[in-house]
Amino acid sequence: MRPDAELPFFFGPDGGLFGMYHAPDVPAHRAVLMCAPLGQDLIRCHRIYRQLAQALAGQGLAVLRFDYHGTGDSAGETATVDWDRCVADTVLAAAELRARSGVERVVAFGARLGGSIAMCAAERAGFAEAIVWDPVLDGSDYVAALDAMQAALREDAGRFTQPRSHADVAEQWLGFDTDDRLRRQLRALTVGPAKVPTMVLDSLGASETFAWNRWVAPQGKVAGIAPPTPWNDLRRLETAILSQPVIQAVSGRLRETA
Amino acid sequence: MREEAHRFGRGRHLVGIAGVPDGAPGETGVIVLNAGLVHRIGPFRLHVELTRQLNEAGYPTLRFDLSTLGDSGATGGGLTRAQQVCADLDDAMNLLKARAGCERFVLVGLCSGAQNAHIVAATDPRVSGAVFLDGYAYRTLGYKLRHYLPRLVDPGRWARLLRRKPAASTERPASEPVFAVAPAPRDEVIADFTGMVERGMKLYLVYSGGISNYFNHARQFRECFGRVMNHPAVTTRYVAETDHTYILTGDRARLLDGIGGWLQRNFPPAHAGRPA
Repeated sequence: MRPDAELPFFFGPDGGLFGMYHAPDVPAHRAVLMCAPLGQDLIRCHRIYRQLAQALAGQGLAVLRFDYHGTGDSAGETATVDWDRCVADTVLAAAELRARSGVERVVAFGARLGGSIAMCAAERAGFAEAIVWDPVLDGSDYVAALDAMQAALREDAGRFTQPRSHADVAEQWLGFDTDDRLRRQLRALTVGPAKVPTMVLDSLGASETFAWNRWVAPQGKVAGIAPPTPWNDLRRLETAILSQPVIQAVSGRLRETA
Repeated sequence: MREEAHRFGRGRHLVGIAGVPDGAPGETGVIVLNAGLVHRIGPFRLHVELTRQLNEAGYPTLRFDLSTLGDSGATGGGLTRAQQVCADLDDAMNLLKARAGCERFVLVGLCSGAQNAHIVAATDPRVSGAVFLDGYAYRTLGYKLRHYLPRLVDPGRWARLLRRKPAASTERPASEPVFAVAPAPRDEVIADFTGMVERGMKLYLVYSGGISNYFNHARQFRECFGRVMNHPAVTTRYVAETDHTYILTGDRARLLDGIGGWLQRNFPPAHAGRPA
């Protein structure tokens, strides 16, 4: 790989969004926008997003990874993360990817809330297809899971020598400041049936069951991924999420539909 | 303040974000190294918050990924890891000099980042200060007494031990990444610290309760490293209540304020590089 094939840059109206553009060696006919999850999942997925981007660029696709406002290297404090802005940033990033690559046909990829954001932005961003990995469809369940982990974190003997006070852990989710607005937005989140052709990568295993086939119909596809991904395991909170099967599934899907 | 995204280095293999304050060039730049395998934003975005707070205080900064970490690639130059770290930091210092005019540098590292910062600080004369977060430490006699004595005399603990069932389900999974500092010979580390302060460097060691399996009291700095810890150029702080990666935002804010205050006292932006 040429080092310059991966270009870090800032974009957006105020130059506050961080992006990493992976240019293919050959003229691209399709592009992939990689929508990051939020919170600690973003950090845990950084490595696999990079590996996947490199694999896709290697098969001739133009790829853009980016951080929403208030996340990663983008401008903004963590407490200012806003769902609607994440969706708007995704629309901006899709336009940036089209401008950089000269390619009109953009496929979105996203893990967990990144998949949900991709689905919510699909029409406005004009995605030709979405590939989503364990997307969050019911925000209230997700908020409940985060709250439960945050409560358990307070007494995590593997992390703290003494339990921390309730005030110490308030208004945070697993290392990140949050506020009432984002909490309300996520609680109200319901991602309806896909409006663009969608592939779901399901690695939730037996822990959660969902009738994906009804959700992705009629042009969709569901692929089971093993082993299950430990998204909500407090003991693995700082462990990178890596999955060769996910990389193979996404690469294979884009090769199939080329 | 503006942030710039850079691909840089002799092999153009490194990726980092330079933060350049408005106004006159700053003499002392702050470079933040990767903590473990986490990319340059740091655990829970610690490095983003730290560099932006320092930019506001007038310090140019660079948070970047060392070779093979985060978004940085490998050079394939056949260097040892220590040589590669030194080469990467050389590239990083050259970048911050070119972008913000920095002549001297303070390195900040947590865990393996502290170890890497130590390697460079011990050898590069451009490094005038270092912040070691949960860096080198050793189980001393004092540690063992503080750790084991209360357990030996606790009858409740003996009772629990005798009743304990095998295969506790709360054990950490074996696949957990190693968030720890590989040991180096203590004599070498003491000699390094001594050399650093003798050439005028300022050191700030902040150790957390998250490393209580080998460090458990403020006195242990002296127990580990001897008299050099009493040198006026060395500041130590032990924060028992916090964890290794500062997951709670209040703990993180106090850490950042501590680093900011230490920098202001030792490298005031208007007179950067000269001790207060």
